Amino acid sequence: MALSRRLLLLPLLLRRGSTPSVSPARALSTAAVTADAPAAAAEEEAMTIKGVRISGRPLYMDMQATTPVDPRVLDAMLPFYLSRYGNPHSRTHLYGWESDAAVEEARARVASLVGADPREIFFTSGATECNNIAVKGVMRFYRDRRRHVVTTQTEHKCVLDSCRYLQQEGFEVTYLPVRPDGLVDVAQLADAIRPDTGLVSVMAVNNEIGVVQPLEEIGRICREKGVPFHTDAAQALGKIPIDVNQMGIGLMSLSAHKIYGPKGVGALYLRRRPRIRVEPQMSGGGQERGIRSGTVPTPLVVGFGAACEIAAKEMDYDHRRASVLQQRLLDGIRGQVDDVVINGSMEHRYPGNLNLSFAYVEGESLLMGLKEVAVSSGSACTSASLEPSYVLRALGVEEDMAHTSIRFGIGRFTTEEEVDRAIELTVHQVKKLRDMSPLYEMAKAGIDLKSIQWAQH
Amino acid sequence: MVVAPTRAEALSLFRSLLRTARQFSDYNIREYTRRRAADAFRENRALGDVAAVAAAFADGKKLLEVAKRQVVVYSLYAPKAKSIMEMKLQ
Repeated sequence: MALSRRLLLLPLLLRRGSTPSVSPARALSTAAVTADAPAAAAEEEAMTIKGVRISGRPLYMDMQATTPVDPRVLDAMLPFYLSRYGNPHSRTHLYGWESDAAVEEARARVASLVGADPREIFFTSGATECNNIAVKGVMRFYRDRRRHVVTTQTEHKCVLDSCRYLQQEGFEVTYLPVRPDGLVDVAQLADAIRPDTGLVSVMAVNNEIGVVQPLEEIGRICREKGVPFHTDAAQALGKIPIDVNQMGIGLMSLSAHKIYGPKGVGALYLRRRPRIRVEPQMSGGGQERGIRSGTVPTPLVVGFGAACEIAAKEMDYDHRRASVLQQRLLDGIRGQVDDVVINGSMEHRYPGNLNLSFAYVEGESLLMGLKEVAVSSGSACTSASLEPSYVLRALGVEEDMAHTSIRFGIGRFTTEEEVDRAIELTVHQVKKLRDMSPLYEMAKAGIDLKSIQWAQH
Repeated sequence: MVVAPTRAEALSLFRSLLRTARQFSDYNIREYTRRRAADAFRENRALGDVAAVAAAFADGKKLLEVAKRQVVVYSLYAPKAKSIMEMKLQ
């Protein structure tokens, strides 16, 4: 074993020997490293990435951004990257037939996880595409009679941006506020529905704060009023039980890479009875019954199917573990640091998400200090900006608290030791930053920070 | 005709799973495989129905094959840097 590993390293050593050696001065300059760092540099041992020196691979707690691929999923996918490479739409030979059979088997697995008929599942590139097809597609199809959309302020960016786009085309959109716990007020939602409302779109589990919306109640209201109900269930699939009939869901967006499947594949659930129709976003070969043209990526779809099958079996086990670890994380941090606020409802929450705000601490400094824990302040899509999360702002979280939020994600592969290490590192960093913070000192001395008249510049 | 595995067969499968789990180069996958196998055997210890025991055993055997293959795949592409969980605290 040791010998074979050494042999595997040989080409690398040779390659490293042949490249011009980096001068010591340049090795120390972080700017130079970032500027011309090739992708392969990420694989070098004691790494310097983006100017940050990292001794090892950080422990991963950003499960809402994406999850690692389950080895059982990869095992199901690999044959379709090797010998079974046929186009599932080829009708004239074995290669096509075996791929087609695999795609249909995967479709049945996805459908079974949400209580749907396989004919109601359409494979897409991911939840963003599903949301676009659902929101824009439904409204465009029924544009003559339906001119209004109801959604919430805490939706994912792609739903909000699709709505913004519809507004430019002359549709009207109601963005419902949420309560301080992140849940939508169902009575308010019912009042917002008008005779010309064509779609209600409310996400199942929020990506930033993990709150679970009352899907069943919303579905009932939509059914009573005869309005299609769309839900973005990317963060909910395989984590909380979903039944499209029980919840009155008309359209649903699903994603594979949030449930230990591959990136680049998702599925749109589209109800058949009563039938909901959408205008396709792409023109092409008419695959997926014209809803989403383009060759279906067999390996990815097979991986998605496998991930759904595993999720169905493991949902209870994973849920129990996430609950235990979430409690451990919360107790561990709260036991050692005061003024920690949980963002979003604790009661109606998926336990794999814990979004905390640390008062008197500067958020960016905290995140940069936590380089050995892979966490983010919120959505990966907006984490590049210094703006506080619009989701937390919608909850009524003050700007300073919204700036110091950290989203801890707990997943299938998270261990107790990782949670303990995350607690230790977070507590250490928060205490360090608070020791430097004059605000914290003043707050501890009993001064109300809001009463301070800061000098005008 | 469904036949339940003997106690020795079940224990042998359990040991094989644990042994294979240890060979995963990835910290999280290694820990998960070990923990999941142990929890599954603990949960299924109370199974009385012959068909259920046989099904669980067949499931475990299939997963052992998956794990054996994936141990190889993971070792082929193991990153050079270890997880910080495998390093000592500074």
